[in-house]
Amino acid sequence: MSLENAGQHLEPGQGSAEALFGAPGSEGLEIDIAGMAERGHEVPHAEIFHVPIDCERVKAETQHPTGELLLSKVHKRPCAFELIAEFVHCENRVIESGETVDLRQHGLKGFITAHKEIVTIFIKGDPYPIERGERTVAEILDKVGQTPDGYVLLEEKDGPPLPVPPSMRVKIGGCEVFYTQPQSGGSS
Amino acid sequence: MSYPQEQIDELKRYCTKVSALSEGGIAFLYLEELRLPAGCKPEICDALLCPSAKDSYPSRLYFSAQITGPYTRNWNVTGARIGEKNWWAFSWKVELSAPTLAQLLVAHLNGFAKEK
Repeated sequence: MSLENAGQHLEPGQGSAEALFGAPGSEGLEIDIAGMAERGHEVPHAEIFHVPIDCERVKAETQHPTGELLLSKVHKRPCAFELIAEFVHCENRVIESGETVDLRQHGLKGFITAHKEIVTIFIKGDPYPIERGERTVAEILDKVGQTPDGYVLLEEKDGPPLPVPPSMRVKIGGCEVFYTQPQSGGSS
Repeated sequence: MSYPQEQIDELKRYCTKVSALSEGGIAFLYLEELRLPAGCKPEICDALLCPSAKDSYPSRLYFSAQITGPYTRNWNVTGARIGEKNWWAFSWKVELSAPTLAQLLVAHLNGFAKEK
């Protein structure tokens, strides 16, 4: 049963939980988890779960999404952000990117995201942890055991990988993509 | 001269169009609207990549304008006529063993990012 088809709106504090429970099966059923948590009700089986994340309300098509999937619903990635589950009894819990969450668990009212302090960057396709903020080219190359004397750092940012001057500090917010190439040119 | 398609495709990431140009028996790759490294002005210009030896350099990269970059360069080619257009190039020697076209291009572009 689809609530929309049935002409019901399921906003927090509105609607009848009993009507939802009375639905035959979970086909087409859409549930707002925040509304259920605030009323202290158990979340029934459903096909689609409306989940608050930060200031958005997203749809999850599974009861057990991963942290990464939920982050992607608000266009964020685990290389830069973490996902935190919020419960009605003032309890918060960090959800790892590969961890699955049970959207029907008692008291779960939604999620917030937070920028990580230690983010992940990618160098030649491999992930490396690094502190967020402005980092030197040498600090980034050091992740792969290279130095600016021997290697050029290339950053892929809104386009192809281009050389970064060794004197320039690189702003790291998480998820940046880098490559390296042996130093080969010189003024002749 | 022909190049592997995957190398041409990789080169296309850096510009809007790659086309072949031959003059005086030398093969060039014409790169339209090439993106230049951070700190360059203009940020985009047309370029000619010559992957083979020319003017005592193993390879060369010519620009459709003289670029202002983070470091002073020796622009020893100014307004050279190739393919009925004027081109500029700075003295930059790239010595890579069997580079792909994109690696060669990046090594030349690194001339804007490297102090010496």
